[in-house]
Amino acid sequence: MTHPSEPTIIVDDVSYRYPRTKRYALRHLDLTIHRGEFVAVLGENGAGKSTFCQALNGVVPQSRGGRMRGRIVVGGLDTQQATVAELAQKVGIVLEDPETQLFTTSALSEVAFGPENLGVDPEEILRRARWALKAVGLAGYEDHAPTALSGGQKQRLAIAAALAMHPAVLVLDEATSQLDPMGTVEVFSVVRELNGQYGLTIVMATNKGEQVAQFCDRVLVLHDGELVAQGTPREIFADAELLGRVMIRAPQVSQLATYLEGRDTSLADFPITLDEARQGIVQLIGEAY
Amino acid sequence: MSTLVQYIPGQTAFHRLDPRAKIIFMLLVTGVVFIVQNLWVAGALLLTLILIWSLAGLPMSMLKGLGKAMVGIIAFLFVVQALLYPGETALIRPIIPSRVPLIGGVGKVTLEGILFALLLSLRLLATVIVLPLVTITTPVHLFLLGLVRMGLPYRWAYTTTTALNLIPILQAEANVIADAQRLRAFQVFEKGSFLEKLRAYPALVTPLVIGAMRRAQLMAVAMDSRAFGATRDRTYIQDIRMRAGDWAFIGFSVLYAALAATLNYLIV
Repeated sequence: MTHPSEPTIIVDDVSYRYPRTKRYALRHLDLTIHRGEFVAVLGENGAGKSTFCQALNGVVPQSRGGRMRGRIVVGGLDTQQATVAELAQKVGIVLEDPETQLFTTSALSEVAFGPENLGVDPEEILRRARWALKAVGLAGYEDHAPTALSGGQKQRLAIAAALAMHPAVLVLDEATSQLDPMGTVEVFSVVRELNGQYGLTIVMATNKGEQVAQFCDRVLVLHDGELVAQGTPREIFADAELLGRVMIRAPQVSQLATYLEGRDTSLADFPITLDEARQGIVQLIGEAY
Repeated sequence: MSTLVQYIPGQTAFHRLDPRAKIIFMLLVTGVVFIVQNLWVAGALLLTLILIWSLAGLPMSMLKGLGKAMVGIIAFLFVVQALLYPGETALIRPIIPSRVPLIGGVGKVTLEGILFALLLSLRLLATVIVLPLVTITTPVHLFLLGLVRMGLPYRWAYTTTTALNLIPILQAEANVIADAQRLRAFQVFEKGSFLEKLRAYPALVTPLVIGAMRRAQLMAVAMDSRAFGATRDRTYIQDIRMRAGDWAFIGFSVLYAALAATLNYLIV
């Protein structure tokens, strides 16, 4: 696959295992992510999605320990040689549980936490914090306690906290798995906006097929630590054999299309969104009558 | 109990004090409580703290809750000291006469023992009141900043305030685990005997500790990802500044501690 922009993330034959384990959580990963891409990482529990996400900002192996072979370069920095603090300015990460990543008493101080750690000038921090809160739709929430926010708002605040570090890459590790449908859409919409408006590269580990189909450019499929497939959402969700093997779920409309194909009734252009499915069904009915 | 370390917003003079002034007050009171041996001085210290608690507009119900939580320990202190303190004034004569070797004199309750238990109880109550008095009236980020400006390394100060923050979170998690156990008809904590409760605690503590460890690990990942500890020259969007009132309160605290320590030796 060719891509017009330069590579932001280069993963070169990476294998990794956690301390005191023999099993490799990542095996011979080889891939490139370009600037401005919105990439989804799919895979069942234990496939290596979180390990992959945390390897992108050096937490794996620098904080978690363990043994890594191969090399990951993000924004020109080798994740095993640059410090996590240096990498934090290239890669922002949002974790699954909103509660464990928000640890101050107000939204403003939460967003300021990272730049404060870097010793950024207070005036510049305030400017960045206000920009980041506005970018995620939380302007006016500066004095709100993070604990008082809804799940979707908490994750948007976590995104703002990462944005205030001015990263080139935003990694979301199952950041919507604990959210209700509204919260999930809130987060995906904000991330899509950041990707479109600011050219932020997005890597999102998730199992929400509907949103992946709607928002993402490319899908990486991990299974047992290996990259078993990559392609556009349509290519991945049309591959029923692959989905069954790696135990991930396609959007419901894609499941319907696969079901119909099994009964010799194909929808034109394998649909992955509701609109596409509607068009396909209308066309099918038109052809029948 | 769950809010004993959590900030309660307020506009009283005590709330508005610089965190450093309150921390110095806390350290001085704690220091005096450790050396005080006089019952009247210990009582006066406790009364002063209750007075400040009231002036700071903090709910007295919290103080009552704190007192209730301490009842068991205080009762234990009274029993142990009343029976074992080597006093002269017997209120209850020994069950076994003193002339019996080894176990003679057991069961004797002395006035000195009771008074010593009372002294320990007053000191204990003063110690457990003074920390929440400061943490409840100070936002945690200002408390942290106070510790840093007093010279504590940021990493240590952060650990201290995070520990304070985690108390209510762990309390909430313990309640969730207890509720989950109740839903499976586990009623030992409501209806069981002391020994049954003791045996049941591992069932509560094990998931709590595992959950806390998992949370700590994830928090560490989140903090590392936001450059925690990256530089010694950390900046702060909000700073604190000592004013005349803060210096006056520190002066008052020093005088108060000195007076208490002096009276402790003067009053017999």
